[in-house]
Amino acid sequence: MAQALSVRNLSFRYKGAEKNALNSVNFEAQRGEFLVVMGPSGAGKSTLISTLNGLIPHLIEGELEGNVVIDGWDTREHQTRDFATKVGLVFQDFETQLFSTNVQLEVAFGPENLALPPKEIIRRVQESLRSVGLKGFEEREPATLSGGEKQRLAIASVLAMKPKLLCLDEPTSELDPMGTDDIFAIARRVKRSRSITMIMVEHSSEEVLGADRIILLTEGEIRAMGPPKTILREVDLLREAGIRPIPITELFAQLGAHSLPLTLEEGLEHLRREGWRIDGAQYRSLRQTDELRARRYGKVLIEARGLEYTYEGGFQALKGIGLRIREGEFVAIVGQNGSGKTTLIKHFNGLLHPTKGEVRVEGVEVRETDILQLARRIGFVFQNPDHQIFAERVVEEVSFGPRNLGLPEDAITDRVTRALEAVGLLDSREADPFSLTKAERQRVAVASVLASTTKVIVLDEPTTGMDYRESIRMMELIRELNERGHTIVMVTHTLWIVSHYAHRVIVMRDGKIIRDGKTREILSDLDGLKEASLKPPQMVSFGREWGDFAFLSPEECGRCLVS
Amino acid sequence: MNLYLYLDRKTAIHGLDPRTKLFILLGSFVVASLQEHPVSAMIVASAIVAHGALSGSLGNIRRIAGLLTAIGILTVLLWSIQAKGVTPLFWRFQVEPLLYGISTGIKIDSMIVAGVIFLSTTKNEEVAIGLVKLGLPYSFTFAFCTALRLAPTIVGSAQMVAQAQRSRGLDLRRGGLLSRTKKYIPLLIPIFLTTLRYTNQLSMALESKAFRAMGTRTFLLDARFGARDYWVAFALILVLIIAILIRIKGLGEIQGLLL
Repeated sequence: MAQALSVRNLSFRYKGAEKNALNSVNFEAQRGEFLVVMGPSGAGKSTLISTLNGLIPHLIEGELEGNVVIDGWDTREHQTRDFATKVGLVFQDFETQLFSTNVQLEVAFGPENLALPPKEIIRRVQESLRSVGLKGFEEREPATLSGGEKQRLAIASVLAMKPKLLCLDEPTSELDPMGTDDIFAIARRVKRSRSITMIMVEHSSEEVLGADRIILLTEGEIRAMGPPKTILREVDLLREAGIRPIPITELFAQLGAHSLPLTLEEGLEHLRREGWRIDGAQYRSLRQTDELRARRYGKVLIEARGLEYTYEGGFQALKGIGLRIREGEFVAIVGQNGSGKTTLIKHFNGLLHPTKGEVRVEGVEVRETDILQLARRIGFVFQNPDHQIFAERVVEEVSFGPRNLGLPEDAITDRVTRALEAVGLLDSREADPFSLTKAERQRVAVASVLASTTKVIVLDEPTTGMDYRESIRMMELIRELNERGHTIVMVTHTLWIVSHYAHRVIVMRDGKIIRDGKTREILSDLDGLKEASLKPPQMVSFGREWGDFAFLSPEECGRCLVS
Repeated sequence: MNLYLYLDRKTAIHGLDPRTKLFILLGSFVVASLQEHPVSAMIVASAIVAHGALSGSLGNIRRIAGLLTAIGILTVLLWSIQAKGVTPLFWRFQVEPLLYGISTGIKIDSMIVAGVIFLSTTKNEEVAIGLVKLGLPYSFTFAFCTALRLAPTIVGSAQMVAQAQRSRGLDLRRGGLLSRTKKYIPLLIPIFLTTLRYTNQLSMALESKAFRAMGTRTFLLDARFGARDYWVAFALILVLIIAILIRIKGLGEIQGLLL
């Protein structure tokens, strides 16, 4: 095989930064290879990707050492735009790379820049759209596509330039499970063609088994590199590097097994061979705990009856929603992108008013209450903290809410201190919010809601863009808040988070609630999940394959297994 | 919510060359601005609305009906007070300034409507190719069209920011003028930073897609000046000449109006 890419002693330090973002990175890739780059936030994954088509050093300033050679070209010697036929780069944020008015023109943009004849452009547009499954979408406006379709369009738009190296920077981090599957199907197709080398940054270890090699990056250095079968068995190393191990592998590591399985089938076979069984009494006690918890909930806080909502332009996003959320609950709302999850929760704090039906908070109709009254009761944490952070100091940012409520100064100070303590940012109170990591900024957003001491905290995708460790930290914080009496309503498409933390799951599809019940019941209702195009978490599938069990985490399963 | 104006229809107007559509837009501006009397302004406005109906873009005009009404009323009031006339009507109002106010309101609304029709019938890429064919450099036309494309994106992020801050109890309707102005800071800073980040990433995405890599570029869309375009251009020139002649002759002026 011919060498497609060589990275030699690569180090990079961003202008004004104290530390190197990359430190003596060395690796090569052969033509047709599929490499996955994994690592925690801040490990240098995106920086590495930006060096591959010369964005570093030509557009992003800093000190570069070492060399990156793609298909015989050194990135220092050629401009990024000249690399377009060698390297196709798909950015994490698909919104910023789509700027045309229809799908066909979006894909044509690159070939047009290469001054190809229109006939050839049409041929390439058709070919690229076919390879990402967007044939028939030519006249659609990119803004009307779903997240997954947008990401596929972004991939098609670089494939049309026929690159030799395709780089995908966290292409699935904002997609629902179905969108994620589609992206990996494209990756498999590209790999089969053997003509394109692929480098993908990805968090989910379950998805990357099909890669040729994994590069594990921590603090700008290659910590480990090798085939997925080797790297994914290093459970401790993965955890240390902020990556979530495959649950079945984690379970066997917990059981102290010598050989670790990577798939469900391997795991089941292993257990049967070694004569493990499930302790029925232990499993029943898990279910009892669920029951007991449900009995402790208090009065109804949020109630929706016959709720319908139609957006300007006629799109009906909610169709006859009825639900009650009681004090102390921890509710997860799941469903595909566009199923109406976010539209629903925006009714809880009066950001939207029903077109038909009603929403009541503590018995009072939301329509008849003003936003200030609601802000005291319902705190809303948006998906992207950068849509709300404006202050120069964390403490100022967090006091914005209580100040709007018109509280006296000493009460504000007290609340802000307690809120920052709860999210673990008391030491950063004087820091500039923009100097914090994205995960920390999300915690600032949570603190700013907490400081208004609301009973209910509504969170829209609270862990988007976070690595495993950051997600756990955020979710543990939310769990603590719930245990201290806050009612939690959370929208997410990360089902392992739902299974680990939520008490109750509401499944939405096409603006309707299609399932509503205890987490264990809903996640093991495979038909219900399938109807909403969701995939059960691995430990749930494992329990179902084994017998009529539903485990919500490897720990739960480990407790019930006896040899 | 969809914030783009372009409507993908197959009307006769959509099929015109982008240059022709640009001429219609400019022509509408010139003819509208030449009118002084409400009756003639109304005739021009009707022609523009008919053009809108022909191009199937009345839906977009209805979307901004509130804005048009507000601008119309404000203009009428402003000019009724600003201009001077000779025939008293009631209190401080006189007939001539009121007529002038009405025609100015109609004129401004007509121009906005003409702009909306243009954007409803012309893709950004068509605007770009039209301008390129008129001899403007591609870099300039691309920047112009990206600005058109950026506007709805900024409005979208502004809506998101506004919702986030309202959820934290920000109420823009309360307080005096100064404190209300101050309340816009929590909106403006995130909008500004989001836009900055967006344009920064956009420039990297463009560079990665070989933007300006060659000395020249090709276009998938083609703009061809056909027989229909010549007819429309001819008719437009005729209308322009007539409108200018009427203006020079002084027909349709409001007698006794002092500006």
